[in-house]
Amino acid sequence: MAKLTVNGKEHDIDASDETPLLWALRDIVGLTGTKFGCGQGLCGACTVHVDGEVTRSCITPLKQAAGKSVTTIEGLSEDGVSHPLQKAWVAEDVPQCGYCQSGQIMAAAAFLRDNPEPSDQDIWDGMANLCRCGTYLRIHRAIKRAARKEV
Amino acid sequence: MTTITNISLSRRRFLGGSAASAGVFMLGLHLPLGRAALADDVDGDMNAYIGIADDGTVTIRNPYIEMGQGTYTSIPMLIAEELDIGMDIIRVEQAPPGEAYRLLYDGSRRFTGGSFSVRSAFKPLRTAGATARKMLMKAAADEWGVPLAECSTDNGRVVHEQSGRSLGYGELAPLAAQLETPADVELKSSADYRLLGTPVARTDSAIKSNGQAQFGIDVRVDGMVYAAVKQSPVFGGKVKSVDAAAVRDKPGVIAVDEIPNGVAVIAQTYWQAQQALAELPVEFDTSETDSAGFSSDAYRDELDQHLDDSGVAAEDSGDAPAALAAAARTISADYHAPFLAHATLEPMNCTALVEEGHCTVWAPNQGVDSVVMAATEVTGLDADRITVHTPYLGGGFGRRFIMDYTVQAVTLANRRKGTPIQVIWTREEDTQHDFYRPLIAARYRAGFDDDNQPVSLHTTTAGDGPIRRHMSSPDEEMKVDPSVMEGVMHQPYAIANKRADYVYRPVAAPIGFWRSVGHSMNAFFTESFIDEMAHAAEQDPIEFRRSMLNEEPRFRKVLDTAVQMAGWKGQAWDADDGRKHAMGVALHQSFNSIVAEVAEVSISDIDEIQVHKVWCAVDCGFAVNPRIVTMQMESGIAFGLSAALLEQITVSDGKVEQANFDSYPFLPPQRMPEVEVEIVNSGADLGGIGEPGTPPIAPAVANGLFALTGKRLRDLPLRADEVTA
Repeated sequence: MAKLTVNGKEHDIDASDETPLLWALRDIVGLTGTKFGCGQGLCGACTVHVDGEVTRSCITPLKQAAGKSVTTIEGLSEDGVSHPLQKAWVAEDVPQCGYCQSGQIMAAAAFLRDNPEPSDQDIWDGMANLCRCGTYLRIHRAIKRAARKEV
Repeated sequence: MTTITNISLSRRRFLGGSAASAGVFMLGLHLPLGRAALADDVDGDMNAYIGIADDGTVTIRNPYIEMGQGTYTSIPMLIAEELDIGMDIIRVEQAPPGEAYRLLYDGSRRFTGGSFSVRSAFKPLRTAGATARKMLMKAAADEWGVPLAECSTDNGRVVHEQSGRSLGYGELAPLAAQLETPADVELKSSADYRLLGTPVARTDSAIKSNGQAQFGIDVRVDGMVYAAVKQSPVFGGKVKSVDAAAVRDKPGVIAVDEIPNGVAVIAQTYWQAQQALAELPVEFDTSETDSAGFSSDAYRDELDQHLDDSGVAAEDSGDAPAALAAAARTISADYHAPFLAHATLEPMNCTALVEEGHCTVWAPNQGVDSVVMAATEVTGLDADRITVHTPYLGGGFGRRFIMDYTVQAVTLANRRKGTPIQVIWTREEDTQHDFYRPLIAARYRAGFDDDNQPVSLHTTTAGDGPIRRHMSSPDEEMKVDPSVMEGVMHQPYAIANKRADYVYRPVAAPIGFWRSVGHSMNAFFTESFIDEMAHAAEQDPIEFRRSMLNEEPRFRKVLDTAVQMAGWKGQAWDADDGRKHAMGVALHQSFNSIVAEVAEVSISDIDEIQVHKVWCAVDCGFAVNPRIVTMQMESGIAFGLSAALLEQITVSDGKVEQANFDSYPFLPPQRMPEVEVEIVNSGADLGGIGEPGTPPIAPAVANGLFALTGKRLRDLPLRADEVTA
């Protein structure tokens, strides 16, 4: 039994220590916004924050997250629309199929917190999540828009 | 019982209304669709595209799925335009199975692909909107006792200007539903469009930015359990033995069960299922599969042996072989394209629940009728006993036409009636059990006269294609497989003698439809070779193309537009980054749209092919939503560039050698070029948009690399070491 704080709410998770955080979130806590893409930490669809750090939840065993505070896409803003990145994502119409976008936004949120005024190159260097639809240009623009606070 | 929302509500919920409340007006429209007699559909009142609640909210049933290409925005726009409503009061729902929603092939088929959606819906759904509007106006005119001609509409209300009265659509809907459906309505002329042709924002951006959008893998049904599957690593193998007892006591495990080509472990959570499956002793029998010894290298060699065969002529004008023999000068080159996986980021998955006399399937799919067919075959139930829910797709690209994963989920659920089961593939299973873009080889030959003018083009294409594999009738011999030959035959260039030979060589590997299908490889062959011809004729590649397009003004216009946007440079130059850069161009028509792309390329400091920028001009006739057209060009370019630079599936001893994104990488953000798109609205018949951006990018890059290095790359993926060596 692991104790996990997810989006500010405490959960007792009845699962083995080795269970990846991803599956604990999806199948036990019931938050499906965090996605399964590869299971190997290669694509970033499963990106969440653990104590504020960008974390690929598909390769993070529960025991590493236990006792810590996890933020998922569902907890990024209270109403699901008011985070500057969410507004920017809508303004730029970033998503196509949309499957990677939870992870993209969580990665971008931590990136922007650490680099509040990024250059173009900073964004290209800092964002590594994969998107099969190729929405990279709009992700880039949305991050710039959010950084300029023009959302 | 379920937590599924906003996906595809059942008829009962739709009609009963939750938020929409009572009084939903359903239009039973007879649309001009050939054989689709809409009002007599199996469900009686399931035949409608439009529902109007008494609060005026309009629900639009979309016959096409949303996999990123924008149909949940562009399809409702067609209705909203003619119904005279804003996009803000629209809810989009996935239409259930039913004849009413078959808009393709004279109303006989429904699938989402072939870049068909908006083109096929353009007239019928505008007609649906206009018909509904006319019925609402008639209802108001009757209510007021005034002539219909005195009524007009204004954003969801019918207005009688003379008396200053107006009624909302929600109030009028129950009255309108009692009226006869008018047989013919007039559609707006394009000059009067308010929405069509404007950059309307997507309807799905917000829910795809906060985790609310529900994909197949997110389906949650009370009592649901999870299944992890292991399929025969060798294509077509069967389970020989499985030691279920070895994992039965593992945490959460409910059962070990067989599926058609492998085994499944069913458990309380997906992770438990996966863990037990990893430890499950299972042996496969590959003695009866043709694929057992299959190797992609050997197949490629086999194709190469047949490039001088006289095949079936897919195109034959003049006498290309004779003109080649008589030519003053000839060139010839061989090209190859590898197997490719779709690599949708959401892996294959499906949820199924079989109860007595009924089956419910939640399947990410590109063809709901195929889901119904798969479920009827497995369960023996009639089609009207199958309910299908189609969620958002985490990518499709042609993979989700084929229902292998649906068959697995329904098979497992059929043996455990009352228990909903969700099958999820690992990334490795997804990569190794795809239906791949076929490996194709081609030989191109051109002849020139004494003045260096092209007089003959003779091509031979060898391989196998997905149309023959999946869509042909066994009773009918398929002479030319269009999925192999599209993009080779009937090219716009005026050359007096042209022949395109198709040599069928069956492939013992699963093949399928990959975004832009045959065009994705044939544009590479054709447009690379046109560039080779230009070089052989000592002409600028732009001028060479233009000289053969005198009778094709649309092609010329698109080519000229891209070239002007790019500020075309025919020679490599020293760029600001201290490296040489060069441009390449390609022009290709697919799915009735013409696209030209210019790529600026260099070799990076780490010896990678770098594409800096792509200028793209597209003529799809009329851009219904230019914002989505632009997005699809960006996406199509990324998809094609990914294949051009990185992607390749190889098979050895019947088994795919790649597994996850480390061995099958696709385009990362750092390799995405800038993209600039210009839309040429020629007014021609509508063309598709989801796929035509993909084909030109590989040849544009290869042609740019030739301009940069003088070396010609004829195999995909393009390898930097072959031009830097």
